[in-house]
Amino acid sequence: MMRCLLFGFGYMGKIRYQVLRQHPLVRGITIVDHGVDPSTVGLDGLLLPAGAPIPWDETDAVFVCTPNNVTPDLCVEGLRRCRRVFCEKPPGRNWEDFCRIADMAAAVPDHTLVFGFNHRLHPSVQAAKSLIGEGGLGEVLYLKGTYGKSGGIRYRESWRTNPDIAGGGILLDQGIHMLDLFHLFLGPLTVVDAVLVDSFWGTGLEDNAFILLRSEQGVPVFLHSSATFWKHTFRIEVGCRNGYLVASGLLSQTGSYGREQLVIGKRQFEDEALALGNPREEIIHFDRDESWDKEVNEFLLAAHEGRPATHGTLEDARRVMQVIRDVYALADRHVVKRAVP
Amino acid sequence: MRTIQTSASFPLSSVKPLDGLLRYRSYCLERTRQALRGPTRRRQRSPIDGAPLEPFGDVEGLRYLRCPNSGSLFLEELPASASWAKLLQDVSRHRFSSEGFYPGLAQSRTDHVYTPKLEWIRDTLRLQGMHQPIILEAATPPSTFTHLLKDSGMCSEVLVVDEMTVAAGSGHDADAPRVHAAILLESLDRVDDPVALLQAVVSRMEEGGLLFVTALVCSGFDLAVLGLNNLYLCPPDRTNCFSLQGLSRVLTQAGLTLLEVSTPGVLDVEVVRAHLQHNPSLPVSRFERQLIEADAPTHVTLQAFLQQQGLSSFARLVGKKVSLGKGEHV
Repeated sequence: MMRCLLFGFGYMGKIRYQVLRQHPLVRGITIVDHGVDPSTVGLDGLLLPAGAPIPWDETDAVFVCTPNNVTPDLCVEGLRRCRRVFCEKPPGRNWEDFCRIADMAAAVPDHTLVFGFNHRLHPSVQAAKSLIGEGGLGEVLYLKGTYGKSGGIRYRESWRTNPDIAGGGILLDQGIHMLDLFHLFLGPLTVVDAVLVDSFWGTGLEDNAFILLRSEQGVPVFLHSSATFWKHTFRIEVGCRNGYLVASGLLSQTGSYGREQLVIGKRQFEDEALALGNPREEIIHFDRDESWDKEVNEFLLAAHEGRPATHGTLEDARRVMQVIRDVYALADRHVVKRAVP
Repeated sequence: MRTIQTSASFPLSSVKPLDGLLRYRSYCLERTRQALRGPTRRRQRSPIDGAPLEPFGDVEGLRYLRCPNSGSLFLEELPASASWAKLLQDVSRHRFSSEGFYPGLAQSRTDHVYTPKLEWIRDTLRLQGMHQPIILEAATPPSTFTHLLKDSGMCSEVLVVDEMTVAAGSGHDADAPRVHAAILLESLDRVDDPVALLQAVVSRMEEGGLLFVTALVCSGFDLAVLGLNNLYLCPPDRTNCFSLQGLSRVLTQAGLTLLEVSTPGVLDVEVVRAHLQHNPSLPVSRFERQLIEADAPTHVTLQAFLQQQGLSSFARLVGKKVSLGKGEHV
């Protein structure tokens, strides 16, 4: 049975709390977030009072669900004090932040460190992964991903658009998930070219990122990560030798990304289909997202059993942070500012 | 859970033409009446929830009752199990005889009916990480699907059992080999005790095993619009015509977690159209007639909508026999 310390009770902290409170391995949760009103209904006895010392000695696992600038310090301390840390993405504001976490992890033997890349556990992504390669569709020819959100009227006020706190724009905040999926499908990637623009929000951080990448086998990959996609969009296209897959929509809490589905198309030339270029497709619609449960469950089981986790590993995080580091270096951190409304 | 939609299309005439069906249907009805001349029993309660069945109507004198909670339809009168088994074997042989309508459509049915089912099973096994399973197929022989399944290379072994033997419990053997997956292609529509068949098959499955079920469901478009005027609805092949809700429920009650509940049918609109061509005076509403008389793109859109919303009459379900292990958390 594990006692969990949850840093940050914002959007992600609340999601993690809901999973933890129902998990059979969890016997206690302490929430650390001095921004939360202690009289909040349902948090009696859970919220650490302001000024009280962090109960490190009574903690078996730490969940870091905080803004990016706080993340590295808490991860490092969590690893040092109790060896078991679950950290939301991104792992810090930049490559240097990530390296601080990685260095501490290297210094702590038998640690369990998992980063929150839950998208690879979404049902459409897992189904797509099982169908490529020997799953029947053959090797991947190309990958194309679009992940876009609309921002909203309070977007500029969010810590996510404050360069000092966030460290990066939409690429680091949301595009990082798509980069993780690219790695899931193709392994390590290198940056070929990138264009970053602050086209609408004028925060000094990119609100659109166009990234061209290449796998070690030479497979081309393209990402458009956007905070000016007025219709919330998640879409990943996987072109394969024997067909194609299009995963789109996300089973999110608000449902704003649309119904999660996977289109499976089999390559058909004139000899197999009536009309060339219009092959038979199957569309799988999903109605259950277990990614949050699976992700936390794997972390807790790995921590409990003293083994490395199977996903969201330090290596997974390293790969995406390397790409983001290289993209920002390529764009020289000079985001093209186009217009401020 | 997932649902599946398909863009596949093929004409009704390529798999179950109405003209060919009429001769086969006459044969089925005649043989069913013969089977009912011996000792019979009447079903009074829903196999789904035990609720008293309500009168619904008859198919050329053979009464169907309705489950009040799920809308599922059941033939009221049934002969002894042995007679029913014999009847199913008889009509199955007839379907493949020179007088049946299958021989001339063999290749077309393989392409449009059986191959997509094989792909469905193959893809689902992949998604569930199941490699080279032992598969049980419950059917009334002869089953075209058995050979295709064996030739597919997707399973290490295919065990074929007579669905009526299993449903009657006479094939129950505690030492019978356990299977990783089982297939019931419209078996629940035919057997005299669908719940017994389900329970017997599930008892043969390993924990985590998958059950693949296809069925014609009365909640689907062509059956809902045509009701008992639907010529495809007759015994013994459609002795039970579950609604999608009813079918889902019996699977759940049998100890399965549903992974997929889909209605990827492609023929609902065409089935209604063929019936109206065959008998223009069929009682359908003006709105339904308007839909059926619309142009081809409208039909395509309507059929896609029926698939998306679980409203086609061809249902596919996948259930998983689940038991949580120690320390396992779902």
